[in-house]
Amino acid sequence: MKKIGLIVNPIAGMGGSVGLKGTDGEAYKKALELGAKPTTPQRIEETLSLVNRKDLYFIVAPGKMGENFIKKFDFKYEIVSKIGKETNADDTKKIIREMVEKAIDLLIFVGGDGTARDVYDILGLKIPVVGIPSGVKMFSPIFALSTFAAAEIINNESKQLIEKEVLDIDEEAFREGKLGAKLYGYLKVPKNPNLLQGKKESSNVSKPEKISKEEIAQYIFEKIENDVLYILGPGTTLETIANKIGVEKSLLGIDAVCNGKLVGRDLNEKNLMDLIEKYDKIKIIVTPIGGNGFIFGRASKQFTPKVLKLIGKENVIVVATEDKISRLECLRVDTGDTETDNNLKGHFKVITGYKTETIIEVK
Amino acid sequence: MMLKFHMNENPYSPAKSIQKAAIKGLEKINRYSETKYLNELKKLLGTYNNLSSDRVVLSHGSDLLLREIINIFSKDRKIIMVNPSFFPIAQYALKQASRLTRIQISPPDFKLDTNLLLNELNEPTLFIIDNPNNPTGKTLIDNSFAEKILQNKNALLLVDEAYYEFSGQTFAGLIKKYPNLAITRTMDKAFSLAGLRLGYLLMGDYFKNHFSNFPAYLSIPTLFAAIEALKRPEYMTANVNKILNEKIKVEKELLKTGIKVFSGKTNFILIKSKISDFGKKLIDKEVIIRNLSDEWIYGYYRITIGLPEENNILLSAIKKIYDDA
Repeated sequence: MKKIGLIVNPIAGMGGSVGLKGTDGEAYKKALELGAKPTTPQRIEETLSLVNRKDLYFIVAPGKMGENFIKKFDFKYEIVSKIGKETNADDTKKIIREMVEKAIDLLIFVGGDGTARDVYDILGLKIPVVGIPSGVKMFSPIFALSTFAAAEIINNESKQLIEKEVLDIDEEAFREGKLGAKLYGYLKVPKNPNLLQGKKESSNVSKPEKISKEEIAQYIFEKIENDVLYILGPGTTLETIANKIGVEKSLLGIDAVCNGKLVGRDLNEKNLMDLIEKYDKIKIIVTPIGGNGFIFGRASKQFTPKVLKLIGKENVIVVATEDKISRLECLRVDTGDTETDNNLKGHFKVITGYKTETIIEVK
Repeated sequence: MMLKFHMNENPYSPAKSIQKAAIKGLEKINRYSETKYLNELKKLLGTYNNLSSDRVVLSHGSDLLLREIINIFSKDRKIIMVNPSFFPIAQYALKQASRLTRIQISPPDFKLDTNLLLNELNEPTLFIIDNPNNPTGKTLIDNSFAEKILQNKNALLLVDEAYYEFSGQTFAGLIKKYPNLAITRTMDKAFSLAGLRLGYLLMGDYFKNHFSNFPAYLSIPTLFAAIEALKRPEYMTANVNKILNEKIKVEKELLKTGIKVFSGKTNFILIKSKISDFGKKLIDKEVIIRNLSDEWIYGYYRITIGLPEENNILLSAIKKIYDDA
């Protein structure tokens, strides 16, 4: 039997119906005052009704966080943990921890970006997940396209896993009509064609993401020059490059290498400025955020206008897998400084594989 | 029954005389195709394009010709393509090319930055472009820009004109002047012969050396149908006109629903819908359109123009989805 964790964020998505953009923090209470109704029951029940595998054993969160829904179906399951009348992110995290102790093979969660962040905090890249979209904000590409797609992913679970971004949307800014997304982390999801938000594999001819990243890493590795400081932005593509160089990279941080050695890890603006002073030749390598295409100003705030001005556009190398770049309308920058943004505008040759590149505009 | 709007096919069946010709061909399928029929078809295609038949190469679908050119020239040349472009060929190039540069064209205009392209022609290059582009439907280069490319000694230019009869734009007139130009065409679309897969290449002198021994494996029904279709092109022209008129109507109706429509020069329309699972919702209503999220940007779809009564069903289904949203 395959052990599947199931957890539902009962309040995810409630803000949407009453015009609130999310239910993080105080917004949840406001949503209730405005008469918001939960949307998750319908989502999870739709998905479960379409799951036709018989080899699943569910480890389920109690009450409205899972138990109330699974008991309507004919699955084998057990309940973990306890919850009070009101639930919050701490409950989500506590329950997932207990599920991990029960050795789940896959976690199904229902919620939005906020729930995905809670899941990431506990699971990281350890256990794969299927995200059923139910939040107001679902910018993270980890989510299944729909409840139908989620059931398909569970029924035909691919053994191949793919890492997808968990984005941290600033809810306050979002309510004011601004979209501010930061990279928060990565979750592993089963790689099923056409069923995930934002990115899907096109055919058996296209290269698997892992190979694409290795090709990029090999190409960059061959191009690396001595005595040049390479500052590596966040992301798994950059991690693959770091592995090729032979250094261990912080997944979400900014690191620096020179002559095959790590010379800075998890750098902030000050650290970067100190390094810039020491080296004559410096290059930045970054990858855009999937779906929205930001290369600066979202995933890597440490690359401040001050840092970018000193390094210059000509020393910025952008890398991205074919799949990621093909799905972008353009690249974007939002450093908070118009002059810096304007200097970065124009075209970039994005390295997408071994001797393969895509020319794309920064808007 | 599911109505199909996702393959860019012609909704009109071939004329009765073309069907009869194919059936006549069936009576001979115990034999290989005779050279005289292959030559007759090449001659007719030459006449259709105002070129001599030695500049025509026949193939079982134009994909094979595009692939062959990639195979021959990717070894010692950089390939440049536009992204997005005809997906199967883009993926083939990605797999085969030793060096590949793709130039992204972006919404809302999907314009190709011509200077950007000319700057890339600084080494031996094969530039492959579908014109009009699939899936945007836009014509990306005009005659004068094609000549600029062709005058660069580094460049080979391969243009896929699969939708020529709908766009009315071709570079076939430049073939005699420029040895480094090749054009692929198909009789799948405008000539209503998708099921027979008849593609052909029009080639400048440089390409001729490489295609002297290219085998033309065409079935006799295909040959007979294509010959008959070319003898009476007025049937094709009438259908193309009907489709283009119908397209104007469909675009107008789509705009009323609030869908973003990108007007192009083909038998299909590119749209963008903000409704999640829009393609799936249409499938639930037994209508299938091409969901480009599978290969490209989320929210984009491609709709092939069907028969008027089919288009009405499609439009009603879309209107219902938008009304319910």
